[in-house]
Amino acid sequence: METILFLSHTEPDGALPRAALEALTAARALAQGTKGQLVLGVFGAETAGAAAQLAGAGAQRALAVTSPELAAARYASDAAAAEALARAAGATVVVAPSTSRLARVLAGVSHRLGGKIDTHATGVAAQDGAPTVTRWFYRQRMEATLRRAARPWFVTVDAGTQPAFRAEGAAPALEAVPLALADAQRRTRVTGFRAPEAQAQTIRPDAKLLFVAGAGWTKKQADGKPHLDQAEQLILGFLGKAKASLGSSKSMTDLATEGHGVMGFMTHLNQVGQTGSTPRHAKGLATCCHGEEPHVVGWRFINERRAVNLDPNCGWARGKADVVYVADAFAVMEKVNALLASRG
Amino acid sequence: MSGYHVVVCGSIVPDPLQTLEPITGPTGPSLKNEMMLPAVLDPWAAQALFEAAALAQKAPGSKVWLVALGPKAKLQQVMMAVGQKVPFELVAVDGPAGGFVDAHETAAALAEAVQAIPGLDRARLLLFGGWESGSRGAGVTLQLVGERLGLQDQFQGVDQLTPQPDGSLEILERVEGGKHQVSVVAGPPALLGWATGNLPEPRNNPQVGMANMKGIMPALQKAKPAKVGAADAQYLAVQLPKQQRETRVVKDLTPDAIAAELVEWISKD
Amino acid sequence: MSNAPDETSPQPDRQSMEVDIACVGFGPAMGGFLTTLARGLTNPDGTPAVESAVSPGLPPQVVCYERADGLGFGVSGVVTRARGLRQSFPDLDPAQIPMATAVKEEKVVYLLDPHGASRRSATLQAADATLQALRLVLPLRDHALELPYTPEFLHKRGGLVLSLGQLNQWVGEQLMAGGQVQLWPATPVDGPLVEGGKVTGVRLLDQGVQKDGRPDAGYVAGLDVRARLTVVADGPVGAVGRALDERFGLPEGHHQREWAVGMKVVVDLPEGCALPEGTVLHTIGYPEPEIFGFLYVHPGRVASVGIFVPSWMGSPVRTSYLYLQHFLQHPYLWKHLQGGKLRSWGAKSLQESGRRGEPQLVGDGFARIGEGSGTTNVLTGSGVDEAWTSGTLLAEGVLELLRAGKPFTKENLDAAYVARRRASWLEEEGRVAEKARDGFGRGFVTGLLGMALSGMTKGLVNLGSEPVPSHERFESLEEWYAGKIPGTEIDRLRAECKAKNTSLHAALMKAAGWPDIVYDGQLLVSHQDALLMGGKVQAPAGYADHVVFRQPAVCARCGSRTCIEICSAQAIAPGEPGQPPAFDREKCVHCGACLWNCTQVLEGETTNLAFRAGAGGLHSAEN
Repeated sequence: METILFLSHTEPDGALPRAALEALTAARALAQGTKGQLVLGVFGAETAGAAAQLAGAGAQRALAVTSPELAAARYASDAAAAEALARAAGATVVVAPSTSRLARVLAGVSHRLGGKIDTHATGVAAQDGAPTVTRWFYRQRMEATLRRAARPWFVTVDAGTQPAFRAEGAAPALEAVPLALADAQRRTRVTGFRAPEAQAQTIRPDAKLLFVAGAGWTKKQADGKPHLDQAEQLILGFLGKAKASLGSSKSMTDLATEGHGVMGFMTHLNQVGQTGSTPRHAKGLATCCHGEEPHVVGWRFINERRAVNLDPNCGWARGKADVVYVADAFAVMEKVNALLASRG
Repeated sequence: MSGYHVVVCGSIVPDPLQTLEPITGPTGPSLKNEMMLPAVLDPWAAQALFEAAALAQKAPGSKVWLVALGPKAKLQQVMMAVGQKVPFELVAVDGPAGGFVDAHETAAALAEAVQAIPGLDRARLLLFGGWESGSRGAGVTLQLVGERLGLQDQFQGVDQLTPQPDGSLEILERVEGGKHQVSVVAGPPALLGWATGNLPEPRNNPQVGMANMKGIMPALQKAKPAKVGAADAQYLAVQLPKQQRETRVVKDLTPDAIAAELVEWISKD
Repeated sequence: MSNAPDETSPQPDRQSMEVDIACVGFGPAMGGFLTTLARGLTNPDGTPAVESAVSPGLPPQVVCYERADGLGFGVSGVVTRARGLRQSFPDLDPAQIPMATAVKEEKVVYLLDPHGASRRSATLQAADATLQALRLVLPLRDHALELPYTPEFLHKRGGLVLSLGQLNQWVGEQLMAGGQVQLWPATPVDGPLVEGGKVTGVRLLDQGVQKDGRPDAGYVAGLDVRARLTVVADGPVGAVGRALDERFGLPEGHHQREWAVGMKVVVDLPEGCALPEGTVLHTIGYPEPEIFGFLYVHPGRVASVGIFVPSWMGSPVRTSYLYLQHFLQHPYLWKHLQGGKLRSWGAKSLQESGRRGEPQLVGDGFARIGEGSGTTNVLTGSGVDEAWTSGTLLAEGVLELLRAGKPFTKENLDAAYVARRRASWLEEEGRVAEKARDGFGRGFVTGLLGMALSGMTKGLVNLGSEPVPSHERFESLEEWYAGKIPGTEIDRLRAECKAKNTSLHAALMKAAGWPDIVYDGQLLVSHQDALLMGGKVQAPAGYADHVVFRQPAVCARCGSRTCIEICSAQAIAPGEPGQPPAFDREKCVHCGACLWNCTQVLEGETTNLAFRAGAGGLHSAEN
């Protein structure tokens, strides 16, 4: 019989991140489908807040490692906590959210337990009573479903792929699992967070809309000159009004790296695509971007897609977007901004 | 003895511009025409290599190794392109590098190759690699190598490494919300899985190429075969996603009309 | 940004490096050269057979620079007799080379025009009518006539169907594994270093520059690679070869006025396609009579299909891509191709002057091999075999000089290489082919007759006259479409396309009666899709643009703008009014067609369009 451990860290306030509640949905379904037992495991500096969120999950046990050593995300301490929980649960399958904190440590933990790991799962299911995992390969260019013989099997679930679990009823009592750290595990200190300048305004993982700016914004316009200032104003103006998240094509960030004076607010973090990120947003609007395959693979999880491009034969028009407006993005975005402004 | 011993783990992936199609063979899934597809050094691993070279240049006495597990012939082709970029010593392991190969087996082979590097000083060791890869895209291999080497100071999604005057290292890792987590590790040994960093791709330097190639060809000749495969994974299905949308191409609307459509679309839930 | 840095001026930030032999361009000629050379550099026990002059105690340092990002990128599929290749690899098993197979069946096919849209002379129209009238007795099917036999000179019996990309990769692997030579792709060479009439090496392209060549962030001056011998095999549009031609001139009576754009697709043939592996089809007659076509079947139900648009086709509407799409859909071919899938696409210029275009093969410090050295045989439609062989001949000569400790002077290279070449089948067959196509200057039918005569009389009897430069051949649109499209309609289309900032060819071909191309999203795709799905073009940043319009005012005056019409990848577009055409490097496949299609002559046969060394291009190794 499988013992499914749902594993997550808590946020500083002791609550679980949303991605964890989504992973819990997957863990519960797996426990049901495999007729296995479900164990919950959380770790963090504070864990009490998590208990209420886990109410009604149908778990046999609920475990927690609670320690000030876990206040910050550090490999040595996080791995030790995750290892302790997996051992205490006797887990054969561990289901966890793909947060940066867990993504950092779970492969190492799977090795310590003699198990295996698969990450970025978009689907977790039971087939004929055995767990299977679906995930992408080659940067979202093909999708595979696999199962494994080895146990414990660690699986991290990508955010946005499952509905979040909703608590119901009484909170489970959390069994404390001890954590012992040696000095060798305290060589790293997390000193804080840094947001790239202006970045906070331009990357919004929770935004409904992804706005992608392509290198066309920096190219010569009809009058034979580039209009960078105007482009910056239009883009930032739009981002502010529409509360959209900013993405870019690779060529745009390459230009920035080469020292060209393009868009001070654009960095590699904005890059969407083959060598960049694959964000999840309900809608995406591409402007001055050709919609070439390596970029568009980063749009895998953008549901509705529209593009504004001067070239009616651009990639977007070839089945990659729902709507392509053949038009000058400068002119269109100016009008869009004006309309948004008039609506307040 | 000063400087770092930077070991970069990195392998090859199909040139991102190529069309990929999965096929199922006797040993599990693979890519159609895999050996014919042009390959490149994985973009994240390449970034790790460039960062390693930049660090080594700033810290005299440093040395950079590139440990690559891949089909020998393909590695050779990729080295023709990478070898001109930055100085490094190649450690080649001959084996499959496709996305469906088991990360745990790859990690075991890489760890063995790292441990066998003569003269490698653990007290100066920085194990670098890509945060994820363009093939498996799992972000686990480097961690597994680290565990096998007993490295408990691991960082993933790294965009910046700054050595501090006291010998410690400040590291910026990508975390949620477009932010970086800032950590300081007392010093080597440490493991860093690189994201895209901030360094531009180095220019081709034929002199670097000439020097590198003296070591690259012998390294390829003595590359040991690694026993890696799909391990315990059983692939039930591998498929290309349906990508084609019914695109409506709107050609004759004025910017005003387009803006009105867009704003309506954006505002709709 | 000089193309041919002459009498090199020292620059403080320009570094240099010394090698024994610097090689430019990795194609079949260089494959033949390096394969033969590498085998002679060391003794069987691994000790140097000859010593390096720059690294004493070591074998000679041989370095080869290739512009493309990969050794097998941006070249073309071929059928070849492979005599040279087999001589170098006597035990060659085609199965070792992906996409290679033995030629099994050859056919020459005359294609009729099912749409009546091509421009056919009265003679040809009469011939077509006769064929149609005799269709009950002639094997006329699918608007095509399979010739009952393939003329001897065209035969590739015993030869190989190859992907040149895969062949190059395979040869490159063998060479690299041997460790005698170094191959560096993604390294464009700016030009030769010439000092006192002697070639002393090559200069690599500057990096970290703006599109106009001015230094930018991260500027690195191109390295000077000093060499005792520079081997030039950079093809017909290569920067080094052309700089040498400019500097040293062509031999008396030689000229390079015959060209063609070869454009092809690699196709996954539809399931159930009956064409056996090793099938070779040569076609004539369609989409325009002057356009030759081909279809070669590789192993694994894959085919290379393409056309050649020659310089002697007088049409100023020179779109290879649209013509290729019509060619694919000819009923004779479409029955095999319909339902197929585009795997790769590419284009390349072919220097078709052959022996008559032969440049100075050697000089002090340099030697030329391959297509740029006039090896292509236009009568037999063969180039790879010849290129490879020219390389092996040079290698034999170079080894002879190295062993004898003789310097690479013009005199010594003449004796060691040119003499070998003159005594070879390459020279003999090149002579036969020299004037074989002259008849095309007078029309398609005369051209065909001329080829047949040259072939059958081994070059003794030829039709036609000395070719004129290609830019003198293009007719005006009005002349070309006389009788098909009224002048007023041409004027209207011209104005319409100008307003839309597009090239003219699609509009003109439609007006001439060519049907619309209905895209199937698999094989019939838009030009830009072909670039993406099949061509995978990339242009690294930090290099200067390699297509440059020397005098903008000359472009502004140019009425024909053939460079835009011929551009294989739509990389050259009309641009702003009064300005030269706009060049987009990110679409350029480096085919070089713009170079020989520019109609604006500045001096001699130099035109207003400069095609310089550049980086990037196609990323496909299947062509």
